[in-house]
Amino acid sequence: MPLTHRGREIVGRLPHDVAIGRGIGCEIVRHEELCVGCGTCAKNCPSGASRRGDTFDVNQLLSAPADSRRGALGAALQRIARHAPARVIAVPERVTVFRTIFYDEEECLGCGACARNCPVEAIEARPAVVPAAPAAESTS
Amino acid sequence: MSGARVEAPAAKPAGAKNSAAKPGAAKRGGKAVTPNTGERTIVAFCCSECAYAAADAAANARASLPPTVRLVLMPCTGRVSPLHLLSALADGADGAMVAGCLEGQCHYREGNFQAIDRVAFVQRLLESVGVEPERVRMFTMSAGDPPRFVAAVREMDRVIGSLPPLGRA
Ligand code: SF4
Ligand code: SF4
Repeated sequence: MPLTHRGREIVGRLPHDVAIGRGIGCEIVRHEELCVGCGTCAKNCPSGASRRGDTFDVNQLLSAPADSRRGALGAALQRIARHAPARVIAVPERVTVFRTIFYDEEECLGCGACARNCPVEAIEARPAVVPAAPAAESTS
Repeated sequence: MSGARVEAPAAKPAGAKNSAAKPGAAKRGGKAVTPNTGERTIVAFCCSECAYAAADAAANARASLPPTVRLVLMPCTGRVSPLHLLSALADGADGAMVAGCLEGQCHYREGNFQAIDRVAFVQRLLESVGVEPERVRMFTMSAGDPPRFVAAVREMDRVIGSLPPLGRA
């Protein structure tokens, strides 16, 4: 993933001799099948790029790994299902997990706070390869 | 979970997987297979503070419960997770009810509100795959009201009795 506009802006403000390392402009990779929908990432996101929704995509249950609780739930649902699940259902207020997280790549700062705080490691923050000087020139 | 007491009701051929896991049910299912004769199973997850106490009192008063119901003691209905409800249905129950304290009277403050929302969530899950949402239902009652518990179980039994059998893959 290339740096986002915010990422480029931040990197552009750095002096060129500062090493660009982890934590600035990480590449964020979400693994939806592992996510339990707890919203911790959204709570820790400084930019609002990760947002906790009020809906749930039922197909997420079916694609969860079999040895997880979500996977067990999906397997149980699959056994009694009469047809393929409708995609999205509304989630009652007090059901705190089972929510679909909306992630907006464009808003993301690449700070990695979501990945650090995710309890099930559903988010990967990969160090981005930053072409530091050219990127700084092109935005300034 | 409710363990071996949840039995495969309407010996579906595909119930083989189901009965393999449960020796008790295997015996029953091994004998050849009557279709759903109206025998059904309802699992009632009962809060120990109220519904289970009410059930106890009802039993002491010799009130008769429908023979279809299996009681499962929970510390609080807030402990009931969607997985409890769905696996009860997937493993042989025709309906699952959650019986907890009156609203605002939960021993742990809001366990029953959590349960109400989880039941609503499971109902929506069921609806999304074409299963009747009435198969899962929440009831509230106080410990001092055994007739209400009996009425809730009868109501659940009546509703489940009127639904077509639940097919399982
Ligand atoms: S990396 Fe930072 S900005 Fe991007 S989604 Fe995660 S917490 Fe939000
Ligand atoms: S913190 Fe992790 S598990 Fe929780 S909602 Fe975010 S991605 Fe999903």
